Amino acid sequence: MAFVNLKNKLIQVKIVYYGPGRGGKTTNLEYINRKFQHRINSEMVTVKTHGDRTLFFDFLPFDVGLVNGYQIKIQLYTVPGQVKYDATRRLVLRGVDGIVFVADGMLVRRETNIQSLRNLQENLASYKKSLRTLPWVLQYNKMDLKEQGIPMMPIEMLEQDLNQESPRPYFPASALEGTNVVATLKKIITLTIASIRKELL
Amino acid sequence: MAKSSKLDTLTSELENRLDELFREDGQPGEPLQFRDAPSQPLAELKKIVLSIDWEITPEAVESFLAQIRLLKEAYQADKIVSMFLQILGSLGQYIKSNRSKAHPSTFSLLNSVFARLEEITSFPKMRELEKRKLLQMEMTAYQQLREKISQRRAADEAKPVPPAPAKPPAIPAASEVTAPMLAQAVAELKEFFRSEMAALRRQLKLKIDASR
Repeated sequence: MAFVNLKNKLIQVKIVYYGPGRGGKTTNLEYINRKFQHRINSEMVTVKTHGDRTLFFDFLPFDVGLVNGYQIKIQLYTVPGQVKYDATRRLVLRGVDGIVFVADGMLVRRETNIQSLRNLQENLASYKKSLRTLPWVLQYNKMDLKEQGIPMMPIEMLEQDLNQESPRPYFPASALEGTNVVATLKKIITLTIASIRKELL
Repeated sequence: MAKSSKLDTLTSELENRLDELFREDGQPGEPLQFRDAPSQPLAELKKIVLSIDWEITPEAVESFLAQIRLLKEAYQADKIVSMFLQILGSLGQYIKSNRSKAHPSTFSLLNSVFARLEEITSFPKMRELEKRKLLQMEMTAYQQLREKISQRRAADEAKPVPPAPAKPPAIPAASEVTAPMLAQAVAELKEFFRSEMAALRRQLKLKIDASR
C-alpha cells in the first residue's frame, strides 16, 4: 500500500520488477541507476551471490520531486527470479503498489515466463491482491538477441502467454541497451500514481 | 468536472516531471557497457568463466554448466558454436568432478576455448572456414589435455600406496596391498579407456554431422 501523508503532502510508492531468473530485472534498475544517477541523486543497493545473480533484492529509491504540490518518492525493487527464493519474492511483494513483469523473450524461456507469472499471481493472492486490480505492465526483454540469431518469441506469442486476461501495456525491450527501459518505468509510475489519485484529490 | 480537471493536471504534471527526470539526451552517465556489445549472449558465461578462474566454487561450476545448457539450446542450429559449447561443457564436468585437483592446463584451455567462442560469435560475418580452423585448434588442444589427464591418472594409480601408519611395520604391507590394488587400477583404467573411447566416438560423430 502506498504511503500517503496528506498533511505533509508526501507520497511514497513501491514498484516491484518481477519475472523469471536472468530475465533482466536487475539490468533494468542498473540502467536507470547508471544512466540517470546524476539526476536522481540516489544509490542502488544490491546484494548478489558469487555468480552475480540476485540473491535478495535490488533496491533503488529516488524522488520524482514536486507534482501538483505533492512530493513523490519512488522505490524500485527487484526480486530474485530463481524458483527456490520464493519466500524472498513474497516478502518483497509486501505492500507493492505497481509491478513490472520482465519476461525473457528467448524462446527457450517460454515456460519459465509462464511459471513466473503464475508464481506472481499466487504470491499476490497471499496478500489478497490480484493482477486484475493492481497496476502492472509487461516488458518483453532481450529483444536485441534476435540480431545474434538466437530464437526469440514473437510478440504475439508473448502476449498470448502472458497478457490475455486483462491486457496491460507492454514494451518490447532490451534492458541491456536501454531500449524501452525508461518507457516501461514512466508507464508504471504514471499508472501507479493514477491508481492512488483518489487519496490525493 | 473539477475533479476530472485536477486528475488531468496531476497526470500531465507527473508526465512532464518524468520526462524531465528521465530525458535520454546523451548527457553524462552513458553509454552503458555491461557487456561487450557484439558478444552479448555470452556475457553471463564470461562472468562465470572469470569466476572459475578466480576461485572454483560448487556454485560457480553449477552456474557454468547451467549456462552451457542454456546456450546449447539457444545455439542448437549453429553446429560450430555447439561444438565449442560441447568442449566447454566437458571441461566443466571435469572441473566439477575434480575441483582444485583438476589438471592445471584445464583452466587455461577453458579460457582459450571461451575466447575463441567469443571471437566467432562476435563476428557473425566470419567465414565458415576460419571458424572451423579455430574449432579444430581448440579440439586438438582439448584432445591433448585428455591425453595428459589420462597419463596423470595412470601414473597416480601405478604409485604404490604407503602402508597405513597404524599397522605394525613387520607386515610386508606393500607386497600384500599392491597386488589387489593393481588389479583394481587395471580395471579402472580399462573402464576409463572405454568411457574415453565412447566420448571420442560421440565427438567424432558430432564433428562429421557438423561438416555435412
